[in-house]
Amino acid sequence: MKIQILQEKLKKGLNIIERISSKSLTLPILNNILISSEKNFLKLTATDLEIGINWWVLAKIEKEGKITIPSRLFSNFINLLPNKKINLEVQNNNLILTCENYKTQINGLPAEEFPLIPKITESENIYFEAPSFCRGLSQLVDIAVLSTARPEISGIYFLFQKDFITVAATDSFRLGETKIPFKNSSLKKEYSLILPQKTIKEIINIFGEKTGEIKMFFSPNQVMFEYPMEETPHPQTQIISRLIEGEYPNYQEIIPKKFTTQLILNRTEFLNQVKTASLFSGKINEVKIKISPTEKKALIFSRSPDLGEYQSSIPGKIKGEPVEISFNHRFLLDGLSNIKSSEVILELNGDSGPGVVKPVGDDSYIYVVMPIKAS
Amino acid sequence: MNNEELWQSVLAQIQLNISQANFATWFKNTEIGLKKEGKIAVLVPNSFVKEWLENKYNKNILKILHSLDEEIKEVEYMVGKGKSIIPKTIPVIFPETDQLEFQEFKVDKETNLNPRYTFDSFVVGPFNELPHAAAIAVSKKPGVVYNPLFIYGGVGLGKTHLLQAIGNEIVKTFKKKKIRYVSSEKFTSEVVSSIRNQKTEIFKSKYRTIDVLIIDDVQFLAGREKTQEEFFNLFNVLYEKNKQIVISSDRPPKSIQSLAERLRSRFEGGMIADIGVPDFETRMAILKTKAQEKKVEFPEEIYQYIATIIKKNIRELEGALNRLIVYQKLNNQKPDLEIIKTLFKNLLSGPIKIITPKKIIQVVADFYDLKEKDLFLSSRKKEIVRPRQIAMYLLREELKNSFPFIGRKFNGKDHTTAIYSYKKIIKELEKDKKLEEEINLIKEQVFTN
Repeated sequence: MKIQILQEKLKKGLNIIERISSKSLTLPILNNILISSEKNFLKLTATDLEIGINWWVLAKIEKEGKITIPSRLFSNFINLLPNKKINLEVQNNNLILTCENYKTQINGLPAEEFPLIPKITESENIYFEAPSFCRGLSQLVDIAVLSTARPEISGIYFLFQKDFITVAATDSFRLGETKIPFKNSSLKKEYSLILPQKTIKEIINIFGEKTGEIKMFFSPNQVMFEYPMEETPHPQTQIISRLIEGEYPNYQEIIPKKFTTQLILNRTEFLNQVKTASLFSGKINEVKIKISPTEKKALIFSRSPDLGEYQSSIPGKIKGEPVEISFNHRFLLDGLSNIKSSEVILELNGDSGPGVVKPVGDDSYIYVVMPIKAS
Repeated sequence: MNNEELWQSVLAQIQLNISQANFATWFKNTEIGLKKEGKIAVLVPNSFVKEWLENKYNKNILKILHSLDEEIKEVEYMVGKGKSIIPKTIPVIFPETDQLEFQEFKVDKETNLNPRYTFDSFVVGPFNELPHAAAIAVSKKPGVVYNPLFIYGGVGLGKTHLLQAIGNEIVKTFKKKKIRYVSSEKFTSEVVSSIRNQKTEIFKSKYRTIDVLIIDDVQFLAGREKTQEEFFNLFNVLYEKNKQIVISSDRPPKSIQSLAERLRSRFEGGMIADIGVPDFETRMAILKTKAQEKKVEFPEEIYQYIATIIKKNIRELEGALNRLIVYQKLNNQKPDLEIIKTLFKNLLSGPIKIITPKKIIQVVADFYDLKEKDLFLSSRKKEIVRPRQIAMYLLREELKNSFPFIGRKFNGKDHTTAIYSYKKIIKELEKDKKLEEEINLIKEQVFTN
């Protein structure tokens, strides 16, 4: 292999794929990335056997070939080089690298031992605008937690419907659901699937800043997300991920259809007060809200035996029964901070029923949170 | 050679030719799924393994398979239901709090069982030895011994726990059995909605394919005739097919009023076991087990104190423990005995329960499914006379009302009638164990509500 490429370009690619190459004791080659040439492209590949990422860039290929080298070392090294032309050359399982005044040799492993990334050939697909897709996903991605007991809820649930897709995540204490529009789709019927949280995090990381379109491909056991190159129609980035098997619980049952108390509050003010209260909430993260519809305000308390006490009040439109309810401030803040509208609706069902947080005038996002049992 | 042995010998030979790391990565959780006309389908856990085996080891595998069985000409790789890679669990550090969860997620959709309830977490004492032993026997040989198993006992003593444990145990040992846990209220509403939507056939076929039916709180079927009829038919169908039926109730079948006779006799046909009130030692054991589950520890004297003041309800024991935990969280110190005493002061003296004659009469009437005014009729029907006598007995026994007062209360009856009733019940109590249980249940309701 003999290739010439600009440092800047290579750096960009390494930033995208480097994160998922993992330290693996059983299969050390997973620490490496695969560098290969494909006609006019340089291709980088990394995988942890759950997700595989391919990345291509136009480069001057003088001689075809491939090799794997340790990802962290390679990426650290490239980052420190000046933005000049880099020459890559493979000699006996070593990568010889020259750039201006630098000359290095990195020991590699033969490319034949690198895992093969599953291919998804032509299949049903769907297009998203990268910004809205990633924005929607980032509202939920942190809710899920890894759990061996219930692997299906450790992932993010996708339901592909006629006009939009519904995405949901839960950790059994709270649940978020959001609707994301798509641009174009060849799907013939409704699909649902569960993707690992890690995949979604990578998608947000990799595509979050992009402005173009993401194309998603389906196959029975995995999905692929693809982003095209600016210069040519060839794909630039592909993320291939396994799916989580199992059936996602029918979470719709959890979303309350009614409420006993409803508050409409200024979002920033409410967010601020809960944040302040959280400073005094002690180890169990408890923040108490006392709602009195007659006074048209809610009182927010917290207390820690070590630190002291906090109290504040927030005016709002309130209807329903008076109630005193406690939440884990983290859970409450997670819901509130994903809302962008100026006013927020909080609907409660007694002091031990699920509470609902949603924006005013936008029914694409809903967040359900369980309270802390009143003590 | 069966598929499993065949694959084992393939694995045995393959591992000689490749590195240990490769072997562990690519052959873990693989198996032969199907063997048909010289074609073998190998199930692999994910697409990476599929690609790898197809492209790198296919020749080797086929060669070995062919040498073992000449008929084999082709190998195919499929991503199957093999165990996929389980993500490493990052332990979420939640301080023990009373953070509530979505209950729906804990319950298994198919069986309706909550996996939290197991035999391991069930504390056995003299008061529940018999039902526990019966439950274990049933879960080992569903449908064979003790069918139906009828478990009864007061509130918060672990009936539901035992029933669910039977279900969970059977799920574990007999993977193929279809199990359904349902409360009698849920059952009733399913019957009602199936009738309303004209889907009785679907309803019937759904329940008739079950291998183990567990019905909780069957006393709520009382007075619902259509549901009882459905249940009776279902019971017969399942019973004839030797399917296990487990039932719980807060009282023995004899004492459930408005229960069709034929259903009652069916209930009595298997094994009836009652859960009594836990003794002091068992209460201590329960507290310690629960504390262990919640990963907390308190001094012995505190357990003793709680076990002394809470006697009749295991759920309350757990509640008391939770209170201690919350106290500890909030104040960052272990409560001592003095603090405990103030914490549970209201439990001890309690909000003094005022028990009135009216309350007793109301509970008795409810218990026997009568209207309050029925008790005041001068009827001599057996189903009214007995409850009336029990009510009079309770007024005397619990409230120490005078006999003339009791007589007057019941529509101006003579005080001698009251004396006669009181004595009659006392006499019957000596020989009739069932009556004693009934009266205990009534008392429990009088004192708890």
